[in-house]
Amino acid sequence: MLGRDHRLAIGLFLSLLAAGMVGTLIAVRASALPDSASGKMLAVFDPRLDEPAMFAALVRAGGRPLRRTWLPAVWVVAGDAPGFAGSLRQAGAIGAYGELPMSPELAGCFAYADARTRELFALRP
Amino acid sequence: MTEVAESPPARWIYASSTVIVAGCLIALIAFGVRATAGLFTAPISDAHGWGREVFGFAMAMQNLIWGLAGPFAGMAADRFGAMRVIIVGAFIYAAGTALMAFASTPGMLFLSGGLLMGIGIALTSFSIIMAAFGRLVAPEKRSWSFGIATAASSMGQFVFAPLGHFFIAAYGWQNALLLLAASTLLMVVLSVPLGASKGGVARGAKEIDMSIGEALQRGFGHGSYLLLISGFFVCGFQIAFMTVHLPAYLMERGISAGLAAWAIGIVGLFNVVGSYLAGIYGGHSSRRQGLVFIYLARSVIIAAFILFPVTALSTVLFTASMGLLWLSTVPLTMGLVTLMFGTRYMATLYGFVFFSHQVGSFFGIWLGGYLYDRYGTYDPVWWISIALGLFAAVVHWPIREKLAASFAAPTAR
Repeated sequence: MLGRDHRLAIGLFLSLLAAGMVGTLIAVRASALPDSASGKMLAVFDPRLDEPAMFAALVRAGGRPLRRTWLPAVWVVAGDAPGFAGSLRQAGAIGAYGELPMSPELAGCFAYADARTRELFALRP
Repeated sequence: MTEVAESPPARWIYASSTVIVAGCLIALIAFGVRATAGLFTAPISDAHGWGREVFGFAMAMQNLIWGLAGPFAGMAADRFGAMRVIIVGAFIYAAGTALMAFASTPGMLFLSGGLLMGIGIALTSFSIIMAAFGRLVAPEKRSWSFGIATAASSMGQFVFAPLGHFFIAAYGWQNALLLLAASTLLMVVLSVPLGASKGGVARGAKEIDMSIGEALQRGFGHGSYLLLISGFFVCGFQIAFMTVHLPAYLMERGISAGLAAWAIGIVGLFNVVGSYLAGIYGGHSSRRQGLVFIYLARSVIIAAFILFPVTALSTVLFTASMGLLWLSTVPLTMGLVTLMFGTRYMATLYGFVFFSHQVGSFFGIWLGGYLYDRYGTYDPVWWISIALGLFAAVVHWPIREKLAASFAAPTAR
């Protein structure tokens, strides 16, 4: 009997995990900027690249690296030239994005506290 | 005489597993939509030229209203049944979320995101769900069902955060709020299986029938209930303090922002596991002893964490163990309320316990900031957390883990 209950719990947990991951993928795609975009944005690199290589790519694309985020492969960068997002991709970035849907999640009973944490780690240009 | 659950009509929609899944999804939506609030801090503040404190105040108000409305939501659920309360709550929740999109003054934001959302959350939160589970699920599975409901509500943020991001990126923040409002209305449909619990009737042969006023009078006259209320204050204090101030503390101690973010994520992940395990534990072991262990363990773990140098390893170990103990108090506390007072007024009586939790949360956040500003260190609040954890362990110890005499039928005493 208990085995059946655990199967229900695990099935529910895995379904919600899958729903969350699919939602994240869809949200990431929706945050991708077109090649023509310029201004301040997030540049995402292959995490295996080291910091100097990412920095060089940002400069090569004509951008001003502003800061590295808590995700080491994600940089905040600014570039005024039209088509800057496309230049970033040509220089080796995986993509250029607006706000990315990745921040640590905490489940407390005080939404104010949760909102503060999210704000602290928001991946926003 | 044995404890029994209500006998729902024999249709698949009222089957135990359907009730559990539907209840978990309601808890998930109620927690999840609320948790997307952080995504709207910047867009709403920037659009209206408000400081972040305006949005922050609306959220703080929402949480206090949730706590204040909790006992009344519980009374309504005990009187009219969970389904009706959730339906009303879903509409209020949706109205609050939708009106946030059109709030052009701080007052309107306080009314929509603060007052209406706070009431909506209270009417749809896991305490209402667990009360329904308490009546509909077989007694031997009751604690397990409390655990899975708590774990599911924690998963709400994981599911709804990307959804909120997607809505904002694709349709703009105002339409995103309208879409989130629409998604809260899913709770109306999901509440149908919980309709098997009618409310307003006496439960089980061991319990005596009484009015809600009598139940409150007898509840507050029961020492163990007062101990439980005071203990749950500590849970709120510790969790809210750590949620807000732990990232800053870690970075102050030289932990990178990246590891701090992962550490918070570890808490979230282990919390799901801990909540579920606590539910299982409460089904076959002493809930009182479980709570004593949790509060004692929190104090020991916090003390060890702040007494030794903070390293990457100690951070991961701390957050993983704290995650296991995070909301694991909820199924055990709800279990004790059910055990002491039966299922007739469990939502009402848990509502008061939860109010204490929300007050504790408020003080955890406020005191954390106040004492940091005053002394330039989080150490005083860490030590207060440790002391409060020991206090909670002590006050849970004498709790009598049996049906309160004032709630028991003469033959069951």
